[in-house]
Amino acid sequence: MIDKKDIKKIDKHLYEIPRNHRNDMRVPARIYADEQLLEAALRDRSLEQLVNTTTLPGVVRYTLAMPDIHRGYGFPIGGVAATEPPEGIISPGGIGYDINCGVRVLASTIEREAVETYVDDLIQAMYRLVPSGLGKGGIKMSKRDMDRVLERGAAWAVAKGYGTTEDLAHTEEEGCLAGADASTVSQRAKKRGLQQLGSLGSGNHFLEIDEIEEVYDKGVAQVFGLHEGCIAVQIHCGSRGLGHQVCTDYVRLLQKAVRKYGIELPDRELVCAPFGSPEGQDYFAAMAASANYAWANRHVIAHWVRRAFEEALAGKLSSWELTQVYDVAHNIGKVEQYTIDGRQTKLVIHRKGATRAFGPSSRELPHDYQGVGQPVLVPGSMGTASYILVAADKAHDLTFGSTCHGAGRVMSRTQAKKTIWGEDLIRDLREKGIVVQAGSMSGLAEEAPAAYKDVERVVDVVTGVGLAHKVARLVPLGVIKG
Amino acid sequence: MTSALLRFEEVEHVADAALRVYGRDWGELLVNAALGMFSLIAHWDDAPLSTRHHISLTSVDSETLLVDWLGELLYFHEMEGEVYVEFEILGASQTSLQAIAKGTDQWRPGTAIKAVTFNDLQIATTNAGFAVTIVFDI
Repeated sequence: MIDKKDIKKIDKHLYEIPRNHRNDMRVPARIYADEQLLEAALRDRSLEQLVNTTTLPGVVRYTLAMPDIHRGYGFPIGGVAATEPPEGIISPGGIGYDINCGVRVLASTIEREAVETYVDDLIQAMYRLVPSGLGKGGIKMSKRDMDRVLERGAAWAVAKGYGTTEDLAHTEEEGCLAGADASTVSQRAKKRGLQQLGSLGSGNHFLEIDEIEEVYDKGVAQVFGLHEGCIAVQIHCGSRGLGHQVCTDYVRLLQKAVRKYGIELPDRELVCAPFGSPEGQDYFAAMAASANYAWANRHVIAHWVRRAFEEALAGKLSSWELTQVYDVAHNIGKVEQYTIDGRQTKLVIHRKGATRAFGPSSRELPHDYQGVGQPVLVPGSMGTASYILVAADKAHDLTFGSTCHGAGRVMSRTQAKKTIWGEDLIRDLREKGIVVQAGSMSGLAEEAPAAYKDVERVVDVVTGVGLAHKVARLVPLGVIKG
Repeated sequence: MTSALLRFEEVEHVADAALRVYGRDWGELLVNAALGMFSLIAHWDDAPLSTRHHISLTSVDSETLLVDWLGELLYFHEMEGEVYVEFEILGASQTSLQAIAKGTDQWRPGTAIKAVTFNDLQIATTNAGFAVTIVFDI
């Protein structure tokens, strides 16, 4: 059990659990938080999970918790760890079951007043066109198509008429993570994925129509295509059953690798293999393939969202478009270049519930965002604000180019179900002018705003530290929960 | 065990779902774990059991067998759109299982589960049999 006295305050928003806290720690653990967020992390045992990540072979410098940290499995949600190949490991538990769960934001020049009376229609059209909930409902694909999706990602979707090449340019990795190999993905995973491409799923996944309520940085907002008082759409989902199966398969397979390579772990969910080993390379190739599936999934969903706008606004509004601001992954493993002890080296960056944050100096951003920085998409909970930030170069040095991914949970699902009724929540949100459509009332109650931390505090920490800067604040008008 | 009849109970987990599961013997623990998982996933009334799957598994140890068993049921649930509410254990050792799962497609959604995790998974032997806490990814 970690006590507050075990934690050293380094700066206003930075805390550290020193390496000598536990014998098996290889590096310290660092937490970006304010006092209140730190207290929440101490209560839910997520800091024990963070300390567990410091024991992984090949881990460098420190492992990190973002201010939206909460308890997960293996890694905490909001956890970041960097390992140095070839001996440094890769761990499926450091990426999660929903590989490349992420957020995509589409922006428009449609003013709120122009669609205010049509939000219900838009939500109903989106709910009809984008399958949600359990299992099936995605677009029809052959087995050959599946292998292409896994290796080409969102570009496959564009070739099939879903989305545009401009959308690809505004997607992390242009929607295709290098190193994917469809042969490393099990037939069972492919079977699950075959019927689900272009579907939302359930849990905390959502589609949301927002108003850009406030713009903080007009110059950057203009580059991102964000206009105050206008409509934006957020899409939050991942790799569906395919990604869940890939993680399940490799957590099982790597139990053997842990014994083979003599790795000692404090939690079996942290199973891993040296990145350079055959097992580590196979997992990376399958994880990359799953990430590509997720990008194709969000690409197809964005297509259906545009179609829903066309249907719902036909004869009501003309000359509008939904342009893609950006698409970021927040459950992923990437190979990125950093300077460690004065030498340039490639590291495996595990981000589990953490968003990549590459500043204006990065060469890996789309042409129009170079010199500006990467958009960081931070959804709140339904009923509360979301933020679009722009990443700063400081994140590269402080957090392996990472920042927060959302509000982060603070209330258990059990507690939420006991205290909140889905029907009451829908009524309360409607009174605030927010339309809600959900597949499950108990599932909706679990995702109530009261179950989440205050997104404003989370954003204040990352902007206070200088990992990113505020660009715009979004408020919800309509939400679809899977 | 807090009650001789208690099969499983939901325990607090901030982001995911967790169950404490009890069984007087190994087979009962496996059955109660499955019942607990589907009690999270779905609500069902006395719907007729219209489907059955024969499940055969071999795993490296008891914890892995438990995860594999629930993962197998989760796979059928997703692919077939069914929930499983009755189980027949034909044979169970610490590392192998032969079972029949009986289910229905008449159910209402509860909390969707993505996966069964190994997080802090340790099957304990108690005076009353076995107990384990299972964390599910939501």
